[in-house]
Order: sequence, then C-alpha cells, then structure tokens
Amino acid sequence: MMRALTPRRLLLTCTALLGVLLLVVFFSLKFGTRSISVYDLVALLFHAATGRTDLVSSDFRLIILDIRWPRILLAMIVGASLSVAGASFQALLRNPLADPYVLGVSSGAALGSILSLIWAAQLPGATPFGAFAGALAATAAVYFLGRRGGELDSYALLLGGIITASFLSALIMFLMTTISGRELRGMAFWLMGDLSTPSPVSPGWLLLVLVLGVAAIYTTAADLNLLLGGEQEAMHLGVDVVRVKFVVYLGASVLTGLAVSVSGAIGYVGLIVPHLVRLLFGSDYRLLIPATALGGAIAVVLADTLARTLVSPTQLPVGAMTALVGAPVFIYLLRRRMT
Amino acid sequence: MKRNSNATRAAAGWILLATLAAPQSGAQASPPAPTTPVPAKAVERFVEFHDDLGRLVRIPAVPQRIVSLAPSLTETVFALELGGRLSGVTDFCDYPPEARTRARVGGPINPNLEQIVSLRPDVVLATKALNRPETVEALDRLGIPVYTTDPRTVEDVVSSTRRLGEVLGARSQGESLAAAMEQRLAELARRLAGRPPRRVFFVVWLDPIISTGPHTFLADALRHAGAESVVSVTQDWPQINIEEVLRQNPEYLVFAGAHQDDPQGAIDTLKKRPGWSSLDAVREGHFAVVSDALDRPAPRLLDAIEDLARQLHPNAFPHAPAPPGGAAPRRGQL
Repeated sequence: MMRALTPRRLLLTCTALLGVLLLVVFFSLKFGTRSISVYDLVALLFHAATGRTDLVSSDFRLIILDIRWPRILLAMIVGASLSVAGASFQALLRNPLADPYVLGVSSGAALGSILSLIWAAQLPGATPFGAFAGALAATAAVYFLGRRGGELDSYALLLGGIITASFLSALIMFLMTTISGRELRGMAFWLMGDLSTPSPVSPGWLLLVLVLGVAAIYTTAADLNLLLGGEQEAMHLGVDVVRVKFVVYLGASVLTGLAVSVSGAIGYVGLIVPHLVRLLFGSDYRLLIPATALGGAIAVVLADTLARTLVSPTQLPVGAMTALVGAPVFIYLLRRRMT
Repeated sequence: MKRNSNATRAAAGWILLATLAAPQSGAQASPPAPTTPVPAKAVERFVEFHDDLGRLVRIPAVPQRIVSLAPSLTETVFALELGGRLSGVTDFCDYPPEARTRARVGGPINPNLEQIVSLRPDVVLATKALNRPETVEALDRLGIPVYTTDPRTVEDVVSSTRRLGEVLGARSQGESLAAAMEQRLAELARRLAGRPPRRVFFVVWLDPIISTGPHTFLADALRHAGAESVVSVTQDWPQINIEEVLRQNPEYLVFAGAHQDDPQGAIDTLKKRPGWSSLDAVREGHFAVVSDALDRPAPRLLDAIEDLARQLHPNAFPHAPAPPGGAAPRRGQL
C-alpha cells in the first residue's frame, strides 16, 4: 500500500479532495427547507463574492448566506478537526480503532465544557478552554488505563476508553439532573452532536485554531510513519519519541476540544474518515493528515446535510447520522482485526 | 460573528465560484440577479416592548405573520383570536386542531431556522421554559424580532396573556381574555376558601416515576386547584422513589393527559406495582385525571385547574354544572 509519496501526488490528491469538498458544499448550500436552483445559487454566490449582497433577494440572503453557509463552515471545521484528531490518536496509541469518541476523549471535552458553563459561564472562551482541558485529562486517563506491563495494550486501551466514556457520561448525567439550571437546557441534544446552533465563537477563530492544530501535528508526520513501526525502532532511527508524542497528544486534544465545544460529541468521524483515506491513498501520514482533514470536512458536511433535510423541517442531530454509519463500520474493522 | 460574516460570505462566494467558473467559463459573465431587489416596504409603524427577558423587541404595531415556538404560545395566539395571523408552529402544537394546519418549524428545542426565516415572520414568540437562549440569539442575529415570555405562576399566565394581546396589536382581546381568567380564578378561590388543600402526588412520568418540585409552573397550578404536592425537593422534575411516596402517603394521585397517553392504563400499571397498592389513595381509588392543559401556561389552563378542583373537592361545587370543555370528573372506583 505504501507508494512513494511525491509532492505531485500530494498536490493531486489534495486538489481532487478539495474539488469533491467544494461540490459537496455547493449541493449542501442548494438543498434545505427551501431549495434554490443551481442558476440562482451561482448568481447568489457571484453577488456574494463581489460584495453586492444587496442584489440578492433578502430571503435567500438570510437562508443561504446567513444560516446555511455558517452551518456548513462549522461542519467543515468540526469534520476536519475530528478526523485529524482521530488519525493522530491512531498513531499515538498505535491502534487503528482509536477515535476521540470511542476513547472517551469527546466525553471528557463535553464534561469540561459543562463544568465551564457551571463555574465560569461569563468568561469569554471558557467553554472551548474547558473542552480542551477535559480532552487532555480524558486522553491521559485512557493512556494510563491502556498500559499493561509498560506497553500499550490494544484491548486494554479500547476497554479503558469505553469505561472512561461511560464514567464521564454518568458524571454528565449527574450534573445535568442535580443542577437545576435552565442554561443546561438542550444539553442532551448537544451531547448527541449537533450543528443546528450557530457557534458563539467567530468562525475565523475556529479556523485559526484548526490550522494551528493540524499544522502542529503535520510537523511530526514523517516521525509518525516511523513510530507506527514501534517506539523502540523509531527511537533507533533518531525520532524524538517523547517530543512527537507530546505534540500529537496536545494537538489532538486541542482539535477534539475545538470540535466538541461547538458541536457536542459527534462520533465515529475520527474513525471512519482516516480509514477510508488509508484505503484510498495509503497510510503515509504526510499525505494522510491533509487528506483526512479534507475528507472529514466532506463527511460531516454530507452527514449534516442529511441530518437537516431527511425529515425536514424537523432536524436530526448530526451525531445520530454519523453513528448510524460509523458504529457498523467500527464493528467491521474490529472483526477484521480479530480474524 | 458579525465582524467576520461579510468576509466569510465573500470567501464562500469566491471559492465556490472559482471552481464552478472553470469548466464553463463565459456562461456566467454577467448573471442576472436571482430576483429583483426587494422594494422598500410601505411605511410601517413599529412599537417597542421589553419582553420577559428584559430584551427590547421592536416589531410592527400589528404583526401579520407570527411564528410560535411553543404549544402554550400557539394556544394563546388562537385564544386571542389571532390564529389567522399565525404562520408557523412547532411539531408539538396540537391545540386547537387548527394549529396543525400551519407550517411546522421543527421542535421547540431545535427549531429549523431556515424554515422560520422563509416564513418571513414579523415576530417570533418564544418561552424561556421550553426554548433555548441560543435559538433566540440566533434569530436575533438574523434580524428577526423574538418576544420571549417567562410565566412561572398562574398569575403570570394571566398577565402574560394580557401582554401578548398588546404585543400582537390586539389589546382589547387580551384585556377581556385576561379579565375573564381573573374572574374565574377569583370564583375558584372563593369556592375553595376554608378547605384545606388535598395532599397529592402528581405523576408527570411513569417510567421512571417523575413528579414536580414546588417551584414549577405546574406546582402553582396545583395550588390553585386546591392541591398541594407532597414532593418538596428543590429540583424541578425529580425522579421519585416509591419509598418516599409511601412515607408521604398522598390523598390523591393526579395524572395529566399529555404525559400519559393512556391515563387509565397508567393507573392500572401503578396499582399492580409492589408498594403502590398499599397507598391510601390507591386503596380508596383516589385518582384524578386532568387534561395536559394543566401543564401549559395558556388560557386553557383555567379549564384544567377547574376540572381538577372539582375532582379533588366535589363538595365545593354542589350545584355547578360540569365545565364546558373539561373532562367529566373521573374520581371514584377505578
């Protein structure tokens, strides 16, 4: 599967994925409670691009540019974050079944945001920071639970993740039932993973954090390839294993916290997308990371478009859509590994 | 968000256009506008109100297109005889039956913003108990006025009804509806005066058993019906252990229609459960069943309160006829 990675191949693959992403975004903009014809949509985008939004009918401007587009942008950011986080955890834990949701890292981030809402709702940025801290703590917990005899054990790790997730969910349940705050309303919905609520943080900031997180992880891409062969081997080949693991751990936690703080716990994206990308393009992390970011954006935009159009005008939580597809794939991957 | 919205809009447009233009260049050299610019509206009079959240809301003096985000608000709009101007309701708005003919905007927790916008509402009505602040903020950013109510007591429902009449440009309907409600409450209080309240256990939900705390709107409705909930925890919707119910030994068990699709079935189920059969209320058949309106802060609430008061205090209503809309009293051997 490991073909030589040339800059040309990297560029071609990413361009192709970017093309698919733009196509998906275009159709996501088109479909919704009110559909818009392709011609009208192109005209609308042209006006938006030239800053002449006054030429657009106010209805379409509101629906397409002010509701649909920010939601799609959020879906792309969340999808890219979760997928790159998933690919990173898979390398960090040397386990192809790792995913922020399966490992309980998303639950940690959710608990972190809830605690920040209870203790510091007034502070700006408290929720994303709480989510990040929660993700860090949960990752650390899972990492230690998954060690057996000084080595990471694949099944101990998965069990540790599942147990962490259920323990944290119980804590969240406890907080939600005992704290009689109306501000926690709708939390159950958010926990399923939901993109219908516009982010209170400007998308520019989210994008910045996403780019920084992905870039930090990308600096270790070549080392991650070596690390997958085993820590000892990587060390002999001159990889600063401690530094690489620290950067990836921090980066993946930032990305998970970012995604969870704006959209709740959307599951299985970080699992499926890296796997599909590996199947299609090989497992070289220098290609895997950017391709996974684009693939994740495509996957979540698709899932959210389905979530908001399938039973329109009622909307499904996007997490339900990703879990519907993701859980069976997880089982398939698990069984294939066992045989 | 505001600051970046123009930049992101432009970015969206450019990026998407760039890819689309490539294969079919020239095709959209000068695309016409999708629709002609919206003409300036005829000069309309606007009024400003502070809603129950303290936000200043600016809406047309007589809003023509109203969207309701809660069943109670839908009922109130119809009771104010403004149902004709109601263009959107939630999936849960089931009363009056005519409400079902209006466009649906999704659930109260996660309404579909696109759908709301496409109805071009003059005002959206929300309620703090059911809707999320995020929804109100999102609509606010889209330039759609949202008036949020927050009735916490039966008296609040009366004043909120009067106020909604004002906000929706129907001051006299609101005034007469509220006055009628006040009069019925006064009449009820007169009949129940001097009678000690019945100690009741309100079954909000059966599996698991959930009742109401003392600070909810429902608890206040019970007080007006001459009942007092035996549950005294601080939570609003506590899950209750049967041991606690046995210890309190309530005089009556009260069921509401909405939460139990089949109140009779719920009663039969409870009677068979260990522990419940030894309750005085169960042995004596003291069950009261009221319509789900008891838990909806809307004018129909008065029917439900009166209906419950009749079932709990039959002696207070010696000659009065059964209420027109309410269910017949169902107290007795069930």
